[in-house]
This record gives sequence, structure tokens and C-alpha cells, in this order.
Amino acid sequence: MAVYKRRYRPYHGPLTPERSRFLVLTRYAFAGLFRSRVFVLLFVLALVPTLFFAAYIFLANNSAVQQFLQFHVAGGFAVENKFFFTLTMIQTQLAFLLNCWVCPTLVAGDLVNGALPLFLSRPFSRPEYVLGKCAVIALLLSVVTWVPGLILFSLQAGLAEGGWTWSHLWMVVPIVCCSAVWILMLSLISLAVSAWVKLRIVATGVIFCAFLVPAGLGAIFNTILGTYWGSLLNFSELFRLILVKGFRLESELVGRAGLPQVPLFAAWIMMILLCVLSLYILDARLQAREVVRG
Amino acid sequence: MAPTIELDGLEVQLGGRTILRSLTGVLDGRAIGLLGPNGAGKSTLINTILGFHTPSKGSVRVLGLDSRRDGKALRALVGYMPETDAFIAKMSGVRFVQYMAELSGLPTDQAMERAHEAFVYVGLGEARYRMVGTYSLGMKQLTKLAQAIAHGPRLLILDEPTNGLDPPARKRLLELICEIREASDICLLLSSHLLRDVEETCDQVLILRDGRIASICNLAEERRTKRKFLEMETCGAEPVFASALQGLGCECALFGNGRMKVVLPDAVEIRDVYKVAAERGVQIRRMNQRRDSLEDIFLNAMEQSGGSNGRI
Repeated sequence: MAVYKRRYRPYHGPLTPERSRFLVLTRYAFAGLFRSRVFVLLFVLALVPTLFFAAYIFLANNSAVQQFLQFHVAGGFAVENKFFFTLTMIQTQLAFLLNCWVCPTLVAGDLVNGALPLFLSRPFSRPEYVLGKCAVIALLLSVVTWVPGLILFSLQAGLAEGGWTWSHLWMVVPIVCCSAVWILMLSLISLAVSAWVKLRIVATGVIFCAFLVPAGLGAIFNTILGTYWGSLLNFSELFRLILVKGFRLESELVGRAGLPQVPLFAAWIMMILLCVLSLYILDARLQAREVVRG
Repeated sequence: MAPTIELDGLEVQLGGRTILRSLTGVLDGRAIGLLGPNGAGKSTLINTILGFHTPSKGSVRVLGLDSRRDGKALRALVGYMPETDAFIAKMSGVRFVQYMAELSGLPTDQAMERAHEAFVYVGLGEARYRMVGTYSLGMKQLTKLAQAIAHGPRLLILDEPTNGLDPPARKRLLELICEIREASDICLLLSSHLLRDVEETCDQVLILRDGRIASICNLAEERRTKRKFLEMETCGAEPVFASALQGLGCECALFGNGRMKVVLPDAVEIRDVYKVAAERGVQIRRMNQRRDSLEDIFLNAMEQSGGSNGRI
């Protein structure tokens, strides 16, 4: 064991750059997360569908294997925009589940025992705190959503022939941007709920409810009034609508049962409003001190 | 060198109520005690210094830095030990302190080294690998102190540091605070309800009442001036006796019926008082030599500040 002098001494050594200091939060959060077996299990499970999609791409581009396994698909194996739409949709839903577990652990631990004043009494601001926590979710969910999407796109580009890459290069934008929109909305809503509720398990439940209850209410609203505006309360459907537009699948999917008919701009406005509301809640809850009114 | 704390017409409002009212004063002591009854505004002043509250009027400068304009730079110089529980339960003590030191800007290896040092220094060396959530109240207080000093601040803000501690732990903590004060050029701001805590550790005191300054006093000076403070009951030519004592350089206050208070300068001994009394034919029937404690200063400030406008 090292021997330390029992005296106080001031620190005159070097300091890390202020701009990147929020990454300290991110690093410690990841270290804490990967100590949890439940998290590791969830994380690995979230990547499993990607393996099936990778196998599909391999199969679609290998006629010898198709003949060997005697696979016959009407119209042949297609790796087009619908394939990546489905992949993104599945991965973003898995990202939602992962986020429900992760997000409360990030914030609740700091808030439940009043550690926030210790963070904010340092050269460290509340936006940096939120940024540090959002970075954890963004990195984590990126690994589950658009990173596998790009890897599979690269795999397909490598295996496909006849200029597939150039004709499908536009899909990189919806793969990355739509996932980023979902991650941003998910992380802000989840952080806001976690900051509001503070208790980890309860926060996980409330995040689920925050997505499922309004969706149910919206469906009831639609059924009773015979309208489609209730779909604005179904955040997953809003994202789906944006994804459909992003992957240029309107002709195939618009009009199908279950697809919201709300205009795209309304979906965007709703998502922006959700993010603003989440930021407002975060601003109100992430205070170093409670303010007693009266 | 800039004063430790400068208050310039500081006013803070929270939830529509004015909590701090036109505080103006300069605190240049190295160890400043913050005293006042509940609701006087002690914690609000600390929170304003740390930038948790924005002043509605005026300003507060700490070591020359404005709390509003230079908030980050100011907080880089500060170590803060809050009054309430503040920890991350599922983290080992030393890792928690390392985490906090890294947030203050220390590189990882330095933060780790100083976290170990701080833990050993506050006397928790053996318990540093235990989860903070399993610590006793006293250990949590010491952990808060460790995280406050790990990054080597220039100003250490301690909000009720001895809350909930048993007498030995309180004594140990106060000794540590005194050691830290003596070990370097660090400044202290200590808020406490316990006058003895402030008396033992501080050399200057700011007393707040109803969000106003009731008094700022230099404790070291007060101790010196009150060293020879006499309360007497006499019989005889009282005014003559008083003027004779004044001739020796004493300050006298007469209260009638032979009662008087005398403040003796350093050069005058009690023997000289007896000698003057004998020469003037005055009987000294009772003499009480007492030091004016911080409690007296505090109570006087509370009595006198009723109509004060907060300026000193």
C-alpha cells in the first residue's frame, strides 16, 4: 500500500481543458454501466438482430449459398430502402428498451443523495452536466442504431455489384439522421423523466408510460372522434412517419393501416415541442438548491 | 491582494421573497465565520457565492472574481462542503473523490493520487474502498471534506461541517479545519450555528440577521481588546475613581449604584486598579474579570441590528 503524507497541500499542477471536461461524466457513467450484468446482457441482445440482417445480406449476395440451402424467394433477395427502414425501425425500438434501463441509472444516482451541488460547485455548468449525460446515451444508442446500419450498408456495398453503392448512397442520410433524431428525443425525454422522478426503478416505469400512455390516449382519441390527430401523441409513430419519408417509402407505406396520416411538419413540430418541454423540465429539476416559494 | 469576499449592495430574491438585503462589506480574514439564526440567509449567501443563485441587485466578489461574471473561474478556486447529504452511494469513497477532483480539472492520475491523499488526510484511509452509501454520518461528513480539498482550492466553503457529529468526531473535524487553514494560504468560509465551532476556527465573523448584516468583527482583535475586561461593584467616590482609571488609559463605563465596567489597556495590570482604588479611598466589593466571548458579540449584534439598514 502506498504511504501518503498526512498533511494538506495545495494543487499547482496542470488542468484538463474545460471544453472536454463533460466527458469525465461520460467516462465514469460508462464504467458504472459496464459493471452491471443486466446492462451488458441488454446491450448484447440489442445487437443480435444486426447479425440476422448481416446474414441476410450475405445470403442475398451469394447465389451459391442460396442454391446450397435451397432458398427460393419470390422476386429474389432485395437489399433496398425497405430493408434498411426495417433494420432502423427494429434497432431504434431496441434502443428505446436499452435507454429505459440506462437513463435512470445515469441521473438518479446523482440526484437521490443530493450530489448535484457537488458537480455544480465546480467549474462545471448545468448544460455541461446534461451534455455529459446525453453523450452517454448518444454513444450507446448510436452503437445500437445507426452504427450497425452503416456497417450493414458497407457490407452490402462491398458485396453488391453493378453500382449499387452509388445508387443507394442517399440512404446513409436517413440511416444516420433519423437515428440521431430518435436518440436526441429519447435521451432528452428520459433524462427529464429521470430528473423528475429520481428513483431509478420508478423512472424506468415512468419512461415506458411516457411513451405508451399518450399513444394509447391518442388511439382512443382517433377512434372516438374519427380523426388522425391523436397520432401526434404516439411518439414512435411520429418517428416512423419521419423514417418513412426519409427512406422514400411513401408509395409503399402511406395509406396502410396503422400509419399515421398527420402531416410531416406536424410530426416535426411535435417532436421539437417534446424536446423543448424536456429541456424545460431538466432546467427546473437540475438545480443545485431547492427554491422554497411563498 | 484581493479581499476574500466583497459584498457590494448584494440583494438576492428567491420565489418572490427578498432573502439577502443590500449586503455591503469587505471580509478580508483568512478564516471567516458565517453566523446567524435560522433563515438569516447564511446558506443563500453561500449559494450566491457559488453561482447557484443570481443576485437581483449588487454583486459579490470572491478573491477578486465576480460571482455572476466570472462564475466558472470563481468555482475553480472553491472547494465546497454542503450542509446536506451529498454523495453517490454506489461508488467507493476514493473513486467518488477522484471523480470530483477530475471534474475540477485534475488529470486522471493526479486526481487519483490526490483522492487517496485526501482520504488518508481526513482519517478515512482504511475505509476508502467501501461504498459511500455504507458510511456512517461522520464518515460521510469527512468524505464531503475530502472531496472539497482534493483539488487544492484557494477558498474552502464549509456549510455546517459539524452537523450530526459526536463530540470526538466534531473535535477531530475542527482540528482538521484548523490544520488545513495553517498548512497553506487557503481561505475558509465556515457557516455554523455553533458559536464554538466558529470561535475555534475563524479569525473574522460575519453575523447575518433577517438577510442583513448584523455585524462584521475581527475575532482576533476582539479577543485582544476584551482580554482585560473588568466588571466591578465599588463603594466610594466612583466618578473620581473612574477619572483616575481613565488617566491610566482605561475605558470606563458607569452604570450607577457603584457598578462599572473597565477595559484595561495592555500596559495596565489589575494590581494598578487596586492601587488607584486605595489611593482614592474606594472599596472594590466585587471584581469579575471575563473575556467577551463570541456569544456576547453575537447577542449584541442581534440586539443592535434591529433597525440597521444592513450597512456597517
